[in-house]
Amino acid sequence: MTRELTLEIFRYKAGDAAPHFDTFRVSVPETANVLDAIEVVWAVHDRTLTFRHACHHASCGSCAVRVNRREKLPCITPVSDYANGRLTIEPLRNFPVVSDLVVDVSGFFQRMTASGLVITRTAETSLDGKPVKLAEGMSRYNRFEDCVECGICISACPTMAASDRFFGPAALAGIFRARQETSNRPDKVRLLELADGEHGVWRCHTGWECSDACPQAVNPAEAIMSLRRDLIVHRFKKLFGK
Amino acid sequence: MPPHPLSRIRRAAQWGDVRSRGLGMIAYTLNRVTGLGLVVYLYLHLIVLSLLAGGPSSWDAFVQIARSPAFLVLDVILIAGWLIHGLNGLRVTLTGFGIGLRSQKVMFVVLMAVAVVALAAMAVMVFSA
Repeated sequence: MTRELTLEIFRYKAGDAAPHFDTFRVSVPETANVLDAIEVVWAVHDRTLTFRHACHHASCGSCAVRVNRREKLPCITPVSDYANGRLTIEPLRNFPVVSDLVVDVSGFFQRMTASGLVITRTAETSLDGKPVKLAEGMSRYNRFEDCVECGICISACPTMAASDRFFGPAALAGIFRARQETSNRPDKVRLLELADGEHGVWRCHTGWECSDACPQAVNPAEAIMSLRRDLIVHRFKKLFGK
Repeated sequence: MPPHPLSRIRRAAQWGDVRSRGLGMIAYTLNRVTGLGLVVYLYLHLIVLSLLAGGPSSWDAFVQIARSPAFLVLDVILIAGWLIHGLNGLRVTLTGFGIGLRSQKVMFVVLMAVAVVALAAMAVMVFSA
């Protein structure tokens, strides 16, 4: 069984006066994902189409685009989700476009690094916050974080659309996670202060789009609101000299 | 840094675009639209109050207009703005303190239902006064 699709794909190359859309008609297996359809366009119709992809199973986050206005990882988005067979594919919003569906994510990764989030955990703690003893023969625990750093939350965020200086949902969620990881009080306070300020958690206008769009259920909006609560508690404690 | 093909104004306009977005984005946009409306109303209100400086005749003339059905519809729209902005603002405040994070969508639906009921009751009062 195959499915006929009409793909309208955003096109923009450096030096173009303005972006435009190209329309392609492709035939893909019924069980194909949107990334498969994009690859057919590249392989059969237009080798100049630029798009980013790697793992094909939602681990790398590199293929994130907008499909019919919603942010998606096309590698895990079935074409059968679009009953009428018409797909408009655009690059993520709120990033500079490099070429076609490829955006410049360098600023995003700089913020993720600043957040202090490690992709793998280097220590495991129990619920009471005490370090868990390593099992015999193990030198450390490695546990992957949920966030795949796809940038989808940045694209979905309405605040990000208005301000390039906003720290952004992913990095703020990273700060929240980094604070959970450490039991070192000065580190906890330093991370909290990193999330503070007009371009930090207070800049968020609670549209909840980041959490709605996140393909990995990281729930950045909840992390941002929790950081706000922690900041309020921290300020009250400082006020009373604690 | 590569250029961004969208102008800054078109990017900023995205905050008003609710197409294909979730309930949180609808709440976000509603709060901005009603907020801007209430700011405009505040200035209109001050202009209307300045009529008092013109004496009883200018004020009485305005009151005649204010009692017309068309003006009463504007009153109902104003009350709708107050209710939506105030009740949704309550939700934003609670979630901002880390309260009700998991139930923010339910909270929005319930508060907007309260707004609709209250608006209907107040609309009856406005037109029957």
